[in-house]
Amino acid sequence: MEMFTQTIAYGILVGAMYGLLTLGLGLLMGVMKFLNVAHGTFIVLGGYVSYWLFTRYGLNPYLSIPLVIAVMFLVGLVVYKVTLSPLLKLPSVGNRLNSSMLITFGIIYVVDNLMTIFWKPDVRSIVAPFTGRSMELFGTKFSITGLCGFAVAIVVAVALYFVLGRTQFGKHVRAATQDAEAASLCGINVHRTYLISSGIAIALAGVAGVIIVSSYSISPNGGLRWLLVAFVVMILAGEGNINAIVPAGLILGLLEAVGVFIIGAPYRQVVALVIFIVILIFRPQGLFRKRRLAT
Amino acid sequence: MRFRPGSVSILAVIAASFIVLPLIVDFGSSTMNILILLFVYIILSQSWNLMGGYTGQINLGFAAFFGCGVLITHLLWKSGFPIYLAIVVGGLSAALLAVVIGLPTLHLRGAYFAIGTIALAEALRIVIGNIFPSSLSLPGSYASNFNVFPRYYLGFGIAVLTLVTVYLLIQSKFGLAMVCVRDDEEAAQVTGINTFKTKFIALLISAFLAGLAGGVYAFNRFYFHHISAVFEPIWTFEPLMAVVIGGSGTLIGPVIGSIFLVVLSEVFVQILGEAHLIIFGILLIPVVLYSPSGLVGWMDWLKKVIGGLTRNNER
Repeated sequence: MEMFTQTIAYGILVGAMYGLLTLGLGLLMGVMKFLNVAHGTFIVLGGYVSYWLFTRYGLNPYLSIPLVIAVMFLVGLVVYKVTLSPLLKLPSVGNRLNSSMLITFGIIYVVDNLMTIFWKPDVRSIVAPFTGRSMELFGTKFSITGLCGFAVAIVVAVALYFVLGRTQFGKHVRAATQDAEAASLCGINVHRTYLISSGIAIALAGVAGVIIVSSYSISPNGGLRWLLVAFVVMILAGEGNINAIVPAGLILGLLEAVGVFIIGAPYRQVVALVIFIVILIFRPQGLFRKRRLAT
Repeated sequence: MRFRPGSVSILAVIAASFIVLPLIVDFGSSTMNILILLFVYIILSQSWNLMGGYTGQINLGFAAFFGCGVLITHLLWKSGFPIYLAIVVGGLSAALLAVVIGLPTLHLRGAYFAIGTIALAEALRIVIGNIFPSSLSLPGSYASNFNVFPRYYLGFGIAVLTLVTVYLLIQSKFGLAMVCVRDDEEAAQVTGINTFKTKFIALLISAFLAGLAGGVYAFNRFYFHHISAVFEPIWTFEPLMAVVIGGSGTLIGPVIGSIFLVVLSEVFVQILGEAHLIIFGILLIPVVLYSPSGLVGWMDWLKKVIGGLTRNNER
């Protein structure tokens, strides 16, 4: 029984992180219909920025989050300006999806190899005084880094909810998502909205990177693993359903923890991928059906 | 695309030089190995092109077919099967794998097909890595009378077979159906094309050819440190790049792209070491953005410009 509650606790902590690392991917896909295959690479890049701040200046990884957000936001603006904005001219959504996929492939190759040049191909992680320590709550052990990751995930998800749901900018984003042309006729600067959304999306990937480098490890070409997790969570939540992403992450974390409990750790990723295929086939709209506005 | 007598004779000269030159000139084993790798890339990129370029289905799980070909060929060859039979069985088992992967994923449209295939391929890679945790190698007797020529000619033969197969497919009614599915799946369905069947057959052929490429690769390698390395996504990404840079949905584009990729890797690996792949990323982005027809498109454009210039001079 204790083993089982431990599994559940672990699943919740990991699941929150899964939700966090999907937010950026879901935002780009939901708002602009860009499939960012380089999402995992940007997560790793964010992790490296945090790692660099830690080893150079001894900055606590959780305190470096605002700096990482600033850096990755700028990266997102550049990525949108240089590579993604020309795609908006493409006529159909399908074309845009496929081309954005190919372009972000190119980005993977560029950024991965730049990271290899700058940081060497070794596996890195932040080892702070609190790493590996855990604390006991209700008779169950929670690792400190896991709890911090959980807290960051919740704070970020709630912040994103308020930005998208309660601000003028969020209103613009939702309008541009529903019908970009009509939004621009109503006087919304769609390009600026897209630009800032891209910045936010990449910054969110960076935050996830900070959590990953402090509780797991990163290497220049380790982005694919996180990208696949993000795909699974995005499909579970349903495309364009950004508010459901963290709950979907929690569900995946729990299912995975239970799956690992039953069949063993080497098949951890396989569990997630099998869940993924099952969802794609039987519930392609995701677990949480999006409420549709009456038209 | 119909061949004129002129281009047929050019092709014949190229093919003959590939056959005869290695017999006359001693290229040395490293050059021969690069050529064999080039053939593997041509087969892989052309068979990816069949799905991605002609049928419009971006298959990101392509490495699974190649890896399956390598693994099955290697295991059968080790257990005493004649190598050519082993390669054919390797190709067939890749096609069988395509049935397993294709049935669930081909119902998915567009990006979801891509995501679904990469998920299945990764699941397979992890399972294979768990089943074969240690290195795989052939007994020493296999390497004692090593001869590069059968490997070279096998690679060349299968590369030619691949190109001919794709050429014949495009000429056929089935090829037309594939292009229809790519251009507008709904319209294709309405005009009476069985889109699922079309995609499925294209995937089977593509997987079979990729399995044969795996066989050629396995024939040339005696030792695999980690067999799961041949299931790595890089075996999907590099053919994809060769196709997109060369010109997707064309017969010659993937060949040009492969030559480009192999030659550039050889050059840049000396300068940049491990990071040499950065060049392909830098090339891929502008090609997708500004010239979706790839290098083939540039060549056509160049031909037009030169043609225009000579015509002006004649006047």
